[in-house]
Amino acid sequence: MKIKVELFGVCRELSDKDHIDLELNENSKIKDVRDQMIEIVKTKFPENNNYLEMVEKSAFSSKDEIIEDTYKLKNNDAVSIIPPIGGG
Amino acid sequence: MFHCDVVDIKNISLDKAQKFIESHKCGASLFFIGTVRNHNNEKEVTGITYDSHDAMVKKSFEEIYNEAIKKLDLQHPVAFVEHAKGYVPLGGISIIIAVACKHRKQVYDFSRFIIEEIKKRTPIWKKEHYKGEDAEWLDGQKLEIKK
Repeated sequence: MKIKVELFGVCRELSDKDHIDLELNENSKIKDVRDQMIEIVKTKFPENNNYLEMVEKSAFSSKDEIIEDTYKLKNNDAVSIIPPIGGG
Repeated sequence: MFHCDVVDIKNISLDKAQKFIESHKCGASLFFIGTVRNHNNEKEVTGITYDSHDAMVKKSFEEIYNEAIKKLDLQHPVAFVEHAKGYVPLGGISIIIAVACKHRKQVYDFSRFIIEEIKKRTPIWKKEHYKGEDAEWLDGQKLEIKK
């Protein structure tokens, strides 16, 4: 199934677009999105552990709700990756 | 009474904040303004790009406002919170928190509560721009999931 991951903050460095499209197996969960994002980071920044740590520490959201790694996804869902925050 | 938004720097306005919080029920009002300063981590800062998850930011501002009313026992609370999005140059306004209440102690507590909670839980990110060096996203704080 197709999942769109909207990028924010430092995660914007992972793509030239404002999102990444993932292809996941049926019944996938947010944990599977995180695992694929980790693989993308390892490919794109193989020598930079900061990005790896950033994805590991990131939360995910659906619309305006934070969702946990056990959240079950549906085809064509859009989720956001929320890296560590620092506004104000 | 509450207003919040995420706005382009061209639209962030103290006049708008002042008009919103005017109330004859309130004897005290206070403005907190966050601006871009010229140094951080021993680097010369020229500006900051703010990124925001707008829907979550507005929800977070509303939750913070409602929690403040419950925790601080405020009378006739009024608050205006706007955060800038996009590039803000040196000296530019990144955030306005304008509050009004019945008494002065309440406005100090109210304003402080709002900015401290925004720092902890509002999904906004900063990319600092430096003189003669590459821009960098600043380290942040992991967003905790409420159980």
